[in-house]
Amino acid sequence: MSFAVTAAQLSKSYRYSRRGRGWRAAFSSEQVTIEAVAGVDFQIAPGERVAIIGPNGAGKSTTLKMLSGILQPSSGAATVLGLVPWRQRKALAYRIGVVFGQRSQLWGELPARDSFDLLRHVYDQDARVFARRLGEMSERFALGELLDQPVHRMSLGQRMRCEITASLLHGPELLFLDEPTIGLDVTAKAAIRDFIREHARDHGLTVLLTSHDTRDIELVCDRVIVVNQGRIVVDQPTDQLRRRFLGRKIITFQSAGAAVSLDLPGVTRRAGAAHATVLEVDTRVVRVEQVIAAAMADGGIEDVTIEDPPMEEVIHDIYAAAR
Amino acid sequence: MIAALRLYATQVVLANRMALADRANFALQAGGMFINNAFMLVLWGLFFAGFKSVGGWRQGDMALLMGITMTVVGVSGVAFGGYRDMAATILRGELDALLTQPKGLMGRLLARECLATAWGDLIGGPLLLAGFARLSWGEAPLVVAGIAGGTVVYVSAGVCFASLAFWASGARSFARDLTDFTLVFSTYPGSIYRGAVKAIAFSILPAGFVVMAPVRMVRDASVETAAMVAGAAVLYAALAMALFHLGLSRYRRGASVAG
Repeated sequence: MSFAVTAAQLSKSYRYSRRGRGWRAAFSSEQVTIEAVAGVDFQIAPGERVAIIGPNGAGKSTTLKMLSGILQPSSGAATVLGLVPWRQRKALAYRIGVVFGQRSQLWGELPARDSFDLLRHVYDQDARVFARRLGEMSERFALGELLDQPVHRMSLGQRMRCEITASLLHGPELLFLDEPTIGLDVTAKAAIRDFIREHARDHGLTVLLTSHDTRDIELVCDRVIVVNQGRIVVDQPTDQLRRRFLGRKIITFQSAGAAVSLDLPGVTRRAGAAHATVLEVDTRVVRVEQVIAAAMADGGIEDVTIEDPPMEEVIHDIYAAAR
Repeated sequence: MIAALRLYATQVVLANRMALADRANFALQAGGMFINNAFMLVLWGLFFAGFKSVGGWRQGDMALLMGITMTVVGVSGVAFGGYRDMAATILRGELDALLTQPKGLMGRLLARECLATAWGDLIGGPLLLAGFARLSWGEAPLVVAGIAGGTVVYVSAGVCFASLAFWASGARSFARDLTDFTLVFSTYPGSIYRGAVKAIAFSILPAGFVVMAPVRMVRDASVETAAMVAGAAVLYAALAMALFHLGLSRYRRGASVAG
């Protein structure tokens, strides 16, 4: 079987000068080496949707940068669509799309349509094919009037829809996404996830994304690679991971008076601020709406928020289980 | 090649549209530069009302020097304006997105910005050349060639200075300062520079090749002066490409301060 992506003992280390304290340190420094990625091995089949997750500094973005040809590894090997990314960067660029959640490839003061037109020249695309793709994506992503709006006047969610469109207009076989939903509201996140999942399914697109948001992983990807300190901790299908680690919700009730009192199976109380009751709910045992209904019946509730456990906690659980 | 030129032209058009997006700001900056240049011209006019020449340079020579300088800065800012903020672009890690695209970086970086002030120079420079430099029609091709050579050297010097950002985080303001020093050097008659200052003006801060050599080529057309202008353009362009790609290689190894 030919893989869309292979990585074999792929490593990246950085060196920097660490200075000590005191005036003498101004004239001397110690060379320190950090292993951002420490010999990762994995393969991704064509059409597979894979998430790389991990805490800050785990090596997710560095891995993505090596696979998209931006960075050269310190050691190890990798192929993407049969090419060595850092040696055949330009040839690979025609066949991949890349989205950085915190960096834009669109021209801020101009309408998105102008940036898209520039990308047509960048990728040497036929005008009719390009227009057809833009039409399809515009309809599916509800871009409509956004196309003629200056990018800097868009909301973050609108801009990200345009960023993803920009990365797909040349018809790539593989899409790299680095934190595509960072900073977005719930509705915008849902739109992005739906679009990526459906577009990938319909076009046989291989997707490799990094994220801090467990919902990105659950709703978009069918496989998860968990990295920590540059090493792969877990590599398994999302279903398995969900059953083991993603079956929890954090519900916070704000009340004017006494704390909410609940005695339900699968519900444990966490430390909370004054007038706030924080509950951890095992959704495999009890449904979220059951917990909320029970709390509402108790009375005095002013506000409710439902969140996923922070990625750091999920990673901690996974890491603890792996040990 | 044609596709590359078309891409470059598309970017320059977009960069100009971006500069024009805020029309009031554009008018203030371009108009401000035009007035600034006119003020400089008045000062030199007052000077030459009292003195016949400075270091052997007469009023027409100064008009030629200033006209070429303004046009070089104008063309550079309008068509290659990305040189001005290239160090900041490198330091902000914005090369990453460009590295995932299939075209060469230099063209993408140079054409990504149009400086509004450069339009003031681009309008003022040719007017000055036409009105005060005492040029004949026969000298026009030499002036155009001189402006082309000077622009290549000026932009290349800007790229060299910006490339320092691959090695030093403080390069953003330093690169701008060096470019500005080159410009300042370019606005005075070359004959007033002596010794070490002259050596600097023909090497690190290449004002000598941006404007003085082109002026000499126009006033004293010869194979030697033409070779000097063309040779300097080729040399500085090659140096800029070499330094930028050396830094880019460092950036891609992850050894750069940027990203």
